[in-house]
Amino acid sequence: MEMVVSILAAAVRSGTPILFATLGEIIIEKSGILNLGLEGIMLIGALTGFSVSLVSGNPWLGIMAAFILGALITLIHGFISITLRGNQVVSGLAMTIFGTGVSSLMGKAFIGKTIPGLLKTPFPVLNRIPFVGPIFFNHDLLVYFSFFLVIFLSWFLISTRIGLNLRAVGDSPRAADAMGLNINRIRYLAVAIGGGIVAIGGAYLSVAYNKMWTESMTAGRGWIAVALVIFAIWNPTRAALGAYLFGGVEAFQLRLQATGTSIPTPLLLMLPYLLTVCVLIFISIGKGKGILFGAPASLGQPYFREESE
Amino acid sequence: MNKWVWLLILVVFFAMGSVALAFDPIPAEDLKIGFVFVGPVGDGGWSYMHDQGRQAIEKAFPGVTTMYAESVPEGPDCARVMEQFVRNGAQLVFATSFGYMDQVIEVAKKYPDVVFMHCSGYKMADNVGLYFGRMYQARYLSGLVAGSMTKSNIIGFPAAHPIPEVIRMINAFTLGARKANPDARVKVVWLYSWFDPGKEKEATKALIDAGADMIGMHADSGSTPQTAEESGVYVIGYNNDMSSYAPTKCLTSSVWDWSTIYVDIIKKVIEGNWKPIDDWWGMDTGIVKLTSFSQDVPEEVKTLVQEEQEKIINGTWDVFWGPIKDQNGNEKIAEGQKMSDQDILSFSWFVEGVEGEIPVSQ
Amino acid sequence: MSISVRVDKRTYSSWFLSVFLPIISVLLALIGGSIFLAFLKVSPLQAYRGMFQTAFGDWYGISETIVKAIPLTLSGIAVTLAFKATVWNIGAAGQIFLGALATTAAVRYFYVDNHWMMFFIMFLLAGIAGGSWAAIAGYLKARWNVNETITTLMLNYIAIHLVDYFIYGPWKDPDSLGFPMTAPFPEAARIPLLVGTRIHYGLFIAIFFAIFFWFIFRYTRWGYEIQVIGESPKAAQYAGIYYLRYIVLIMFISGAIAGIAGMCEVSGLQGRLQHGFTAEFGFTAIIVAWLARLNPISVMLVSFLIGALQVGGESLQIVMRLPIASTLVLQGLILFFVLGGEFFRNYRIRFIRGDER
Repeated sequence: MEMVVSILAAAVRSGTPILFATLGEIIIEKSGILNLGLEGIMLIGALTGFSVSLVSGNPWLGIMAAFILGALITLIHGFISITLRGNQVVSGLAMTIFGTGVSSLMGKAFIGKTIPGLLKTPFPVLNRIPFVGPIFFNHDLLVYFSFFLVIFLSWFLISTRIGLNLRAVGDSPRAADAMGLNINRIRYLAVAIGGGIVAIGGAYLSVAYNKMWTESMTAGRGWIAVALVIFAIWNPTRAALGAYLFGGVEAFQLRLQATGTSIPTPLLLMLPYLLTVCVLIFISIGKGKGILFGAPASLGQPYFREESE
Repeated sequence: MNKWVWLLILVVFFAMGSVALAFDPIPAEDLKIGFVFVGPVGDGGWSYMHDQGRQAIEKAFPGVTTMYAESVPEGPDCARVMEQFVRNGAQLVFATSFGYMDQVIEVAKKYPDVVFMHCSGYKMADNVGLYFGRMYQARYLSGLVAGSMTKSNIIGFPAAHPIPEVIRMINAFTLGARKANPDARVKVVWLYSWFDPGKEKEATKALIDAGADMIGMHADSGSTPQTAEESGVYVIGYNNDMSSYAPTKCLTSSVWDWSTIYVDIIKKVIEGNWKPIDDWWGMDTGIVKLTSFSQDVPEEVKTLVQEEQEKIINGTWDVFWGPIKDQNGNEKIAEGQKMSDQDILSFSWFVEGVEGEIPVSQ
Repeated sequence: MSISVRVDKRTYSSWFLSVFLPIISVLLALIGGSIFLAFLKVSPLQAYRGMFQTAFGDWYGISETIVKAIPLTLSGIAVTLAFKATVWNIGAAGQIFLGALATTAAVRYFYVDNHWMMFFIMFLLAGIAGGSWAAIAGYLKARWNVNETITTLMLNYIAIHLVDYFIYGPWKDPDSLGFPMTAPFPEAARIPLLVGTRIHYGLFIAIFFAIFFWFIFRYTRWGYEIQVIGESPKAAQYAGIYYLRYIVLIMFISGAIAGIAGMCEVSGLQGRLQHGFTAEFGFTAIIVAWLARLNPISVMLVSFLIGALQVGGESLQIVMRLPIASTLVLQGLILFFVLGGEFFRNYRIRFIRGDER
């Protein structure tokens, strides 16, 4: 039982950076923009978060700086995708390459340093609930913020005017335009805010989780987030489940080794990916044949006001 | 862009390339050395320590020029990197990872006048020599500390890949731990990565959850000691001094110092005395050592380490001299027998006291 | 009097722009790169000269560029095929791994001491392995509309671990002192090389496929149908019967070619399957395919240029002492500029007076 609790707690802990990235990408994709540059943006967020925390002595300053820089960087992709109507797949890939390179270059001065970072702050009262308490409420503040973000986004996308506008822009830009919405402005905002949140995911890694900076420290989490957005069918709550599933399987595999198993490790390492595919198949069969439910219909396509259908 | 555009661009580049060639200067006659690193020099671990060695060369021999390439993947790419070094005038090339082996031999054949030194490999040639350090000796000593100070008798060991080098380290560490404390057990978790701070953290936590109150490590980031410090558990560092990551919990670290062997090799090449040999230097040369102990280490443990270290440096005893039993209790090395270097280099079984699996070949 | 900007899609593409703009884009990218290099305290002219020289200046450089270009071309074609049908195969990397795995299996279990026989066997097995791996994702997409972006991406990771399982375990070379690598392939199982270089006969396979598929898409009915599926998948889906077969078939062929790329790398270049074998060009292939506008012949040329960028970029490290990350930044910058340039190629800006709408 204790083992289960510790695995689930680890799931939450290591799933959080993926969760931030997924949530940020959901916002971006809901507006109709496809962004494959998550790895690069996370790395820039990680470096910014770490360096600013180190220099200023305040981890929250670092996290905010990461948000701002992440937003700015993603706006490049936004500019190419929205105003220049460029190919979003390639722009995203270019962002990954660029972000990886820039963070590695600028980060050289920070290798080997550590910061106190964000400390674990047990959530009063809630963390004493048996079972649930130690799993969810014994982490640092940024993790709690991610919970808040999930709940907030769920509500925002469904129940607020702006949220609905966002979804309209992504699902049917022509109709949204006819309604009088400013497509470009909404998309730019989505890209900026979403990009900032993705960067917070990276900052979490360097400021709260590992409290250090190393090259390529995201280790592919950005790509997992890209997949998780689809896996979650663009729903923030399901995104959380997916992120924790991923973190959990890895924690599970390690604990299995620690307690002794003869299953070859590489096979264990396959588990999170296999599970993702299986769950996805299960969901898709359930939904029956047809268009992928929940995908913003205009995802990846630039918008032209004057274009005739 | 259509294909004619690409063709046009290609033609232009070719033209520019041949023009560029016309202005190329001739390389200088001073000794030029190339280093191939498998990771980033800033990793604070394996490649970082080699780079420190490279810098030591520059200090010791001011006329020499060094070049390096970092994060070169093991495989065909490094052949090109080494060729580029030679084409840029290198007369000595250091390949600092096992996986470069095939390519070192391949490139060395093409350039018989260039000296190639391969670290941790096993293939030599007329112009290819080997070099390595007996880190296992330092590991053994650090194991003594670990065994002495564990109370739960479970020592956790996040390890990168199940290759002989790592297995050897774990074995040496365990032999030391059990010498100091016959009830100690070492639990191994495989990361399948040299460098993944996230995984290292989770592996450390998993081992702590499984009862470990002492952590060893064989990986390249500072995540393991950091996690140990956070969890209030002692840790033994590796590669580099890990106390910056674990200021109160790092008892000691077994570290590399490549400067002495590098300087020695350069001297031989400059003086013309270089021969292809398998240079596996021991602790007596300073290539491997322990960092200073933390204040938590009691005097009697320090004394024990001192004594064992004396024996190794004097040559009166070494880590892999019998008797040694394997995981299942069978005696593999008898009393009075010494394991050959060949066997030590190809370690494929765990000693008694290690809990973990090694994949088997068929 | 107000002036507003209007952006129109070009209905025809001017020949002049088609040629001129890309060149300007690349030049602008090089200038942008210069600023970046200057920022790193390196003379841009020296750096670029070094890059050109390394990649194009002598036969060794050119041959190494070709070596890099071969797997890029093959996987570029693989990706192009899938993209033509609007199937987002980003699993080329995994299919390459499967091809390498199958090649190793061929050497282990179906060895024949004859060069051409062995080549044929490896070719066949690598193609089937890579093809089947991709077809899994294809089938899932066609049958249950399981998103292929995720499945191919996940299959990549599963493939890497599969390779690890074999080289650390059952297929480990007993002579390698326990290191994760298979035994070296015997002579007959190595793809022959062009004398004096590392260029292997995979070059001819790549050129053949490039021309072959260019021909298919340009002149055959089947190629035309694939592009139709690509352009309106919904219409094709309503047609029902053929969609499933086509998608699976296309993914199979796409994966097969990627698998063959894996075979070439492992058998032509390295000579054994070892830990550290990268299939990173499976991702670069996506960029190549796009830059080549899904034209197989252009894929060849673009691959060569990108190969040159990588080979030349190495010289930045070795000669100019720049960290390897700087080549990544340069690549990213070039891509951004080319993307920007595409804008002017595809769209036309008009300045309109007043409130004309």
